Amino acid sequence: MTLDWSVVWQHRDALAAATGTTFLLTVATMVIAVPCGIIVAVLRLYGYAPVRALATGYVELFRNLPLILVVYWAFYVLPILTGTGLSPLATGLAALALNVTAYNAETFRAGINSIRRGQLEAAMALGMSRAQALRRVVLPQALRRITPVLASTWVSLFKDTSLVSVIAVTELAYVAMQVRAQTFRVLEMLTAMAAIYWLLGYPQAKLVDWIQRRYAVTE
Amino acid sequence: MDFDFSVITDHWRFLGYGVLVTLALSVASGLTSLALGFVIALLRLHGPRWLRPLVVLYIDSMRAIPVLVVLVWTFFALPIVAGVTLPPFWAALVGLTVHLAAYAAEIVRAGIESVRPGQTRAALALGLSRPSVLRRIVLPQALVRMLPAFGSLLSVTIKDTAIASVIAVPELMRQSETVAGQSFQPIEVYTFAMLVYFVLLFPVTRGVDRIYRRLAHLGRS
Amino acid sequence: MTLDPQRTKAAGAAIVRYRDVVKRFGALQVLNGVTLSVHAGEVVCLIGPSGSGKSTLLRCTNGLEMLDGGAIEFEGTLLPRDERGLRAMRARMGMVFQSFELFPHLTAEGNVAEGPRSVLGMSTAAARARAAALLAKVGLADKLASYPSALSGGQQQRVAIARALAMEPDVMLFDEPTSALDPETIGEVLSVMKTLADEGMTMVVVTHEMSFARRVADWVAVFDAGRIIEQGPPRQIFDAPEVERTRDFLSHLGWSG
Repeated sequence: MTLDWSVVWQHRDALAAATGTTFLLTVATMVIAVPCGIIVAVLRLYGYAPVRALATGYVELFRNLPLILVVYWAFYVLPILTGTGLSPLATGLAALALNVTAYNAETFRAGINSIRRGQLEAAMALGMSRAQALRRVVLPQALRRITPVLASTWVSLFKDTSLVSVIAVTELAYVAMQVRAQTFRVLEMLTAMAAIYWLLGYPQAKLVDWIQRRYAVTE
Repeated sequence: MDFDFSVITDHWRFLGYGVLVTLALSVASGLTSLALGFVIALLRLHGPRWLRPLVVLYIDSMRAIPVLVVLVWTFFALPIVAGVTLPPFWAALVGLTVHLAAYAAEIVRAGIESVRPGQTRAALALGLSRPSVLRRIVLPQALVRMLPAFGSLLSVTIKDTAIASVIAVPELMRQSETVAGQSFQPIEVYTFAMLVYFVLLFPVTRGVDRIYRRLAHLGRS
Repeated sequence: MTLDPQRTKAAGAAIVRYRDVVKRFGALQVLNGVTLSVHAGEVVCLIGPSGSGKSTLLRCTNGLEMLDGGAIEFEGTLLPRDERGLRAMRARMGMVFQSFELFPHLTAEGNVAEGPRSVLGMSTAAARARAAALLAKVGLADKLASYPSALSGGQQQRVAIARALAMEPDVMLFDEPTSALDPETIGEVLSVMKTLADEGMTMVVVTHEMSFARRVADWVAVFDAGRIIEQGPPRQIFDAPEVERTRDFLSHLGWSG
């Protein structure tokens, strides 16, 4: 069994670009999923009954589906729904965003709910509107509890970007497996792929630990 | 845009087989990762000192590496390194177990550490040995506290079995891909798959929630 | 050490003897040379301000904390430092905690039977019979199958007392047994403790319940900053304290005799 690790170095440009795409997907998804998650959470907590039901339905649906299935489904359904063909990257982004928005909505909802009702009441008793009270009193406190969970979601999302490889998005997993297919250097490329994810993911996981310690709520 | 769901009924046996494999893989990897997770957590808490950093390294590594990568490596790369080729189902089982056990270990550790130290003191004061304290007093309470987290881990396990489609395990996702590809009716097939997964997953978290609520007082010291 | 003529039960064997006990937590000196004896059948109450080391002394008695200096003797033998030896001694001492520490996953009966089963190796049936008898003794015969979450604080503490008694200890250690209770339920716990005392159980009680100490104790030791500043019969301590600090402490508590 002869191993040729140089194949990793030879394709470093492609791998680097692919890593960039992975990061891009992660950031873009969060940029969409955080505000959308807040909106859905607020709709779920304070909307009219049919709106609440819809929001809850959305959240429960996407929390109970495998992401890889959502990716495939988006690939086939979105072109029909939107009438245009979306690039694999856009499709992947859409699937990820739909998925993470649901999780974020749940995170925000639980975070907001964990703030004692009395806080909201006290703020409104001062004369604030509900929106003001939420924005100035509840949300800032809830953020303490929400931040560690969001950080954890980020790390999960980073790993989940690997799933859009199945629809040929040129992120890290896809490119690494392409190189494997082209060069037949199976062990080298797959190990390199794991190692790159490890190098990127390990510090992120440790950062999440730090955030969780720092924002630990003792009540 | 019309849908023809007869494609589902036409292939019900093929798809049904996929559901069975999904269930089998979920239950099997759920159990093995739970068992392995317990062992790892106990090793971390009560095992030899030198083992602890290794355990932490393993757990943090599984937090960093995607399931897809673990499964693909287990199926394609492990044979080259270890000389043993695992059939897809078993490769998936091994990969999922190794990945999920890290999360299970963290749940177990958190559960055990959340039991009040006063409980250990009270048990010691009665004269119980330390292993007895762990076995009879701490673990039972810790297990109750771990339930909600284990519920969501089970949910994650079922979802992760769908990723095993990438290494040709004939579970539901894979079977759906095949039918969709052959029949050119991906929307109907994947919608059906979504329905099945939802029906599988939704009761799991609800069920665990309900069980936990009834048992929570057993863990509240 | 000369026998104090006022110490009525000092003729009995010394069950627990503390000699110059020293205990530190980091830089904090919690016990600063405590010397005290507890004789068979005596009720010794430890009183004093919070943080004066009373609870720590109790936890050193059954080895939950290790001494930094001095010695503790139990029934004539020095307290061992190894886990095995300590375990054997703990089985002969009963401890009741301020926070009850009932095992939430066991019923009242299960809690009381746990010691006899796991430590004394009794059969389940025998352990359960003992549990039933003890729970009846503390007035909770109808709560055998109840879980701690369904019991009031006072009931939980009584179960905790029964749990400690189930081991048939030679001494009962009470660490502020009523401090976490609602005023209404304090009485039921104190009356169980008085019954025990009347039956001749050797007891060391850390408490803030001065009237209980006055009525039930045979000997009272006043703690302050890790030392015993005064010890004597309750009549002396409560009615005619000899040390200024004791007077300060008691008046601070609103004790007017």
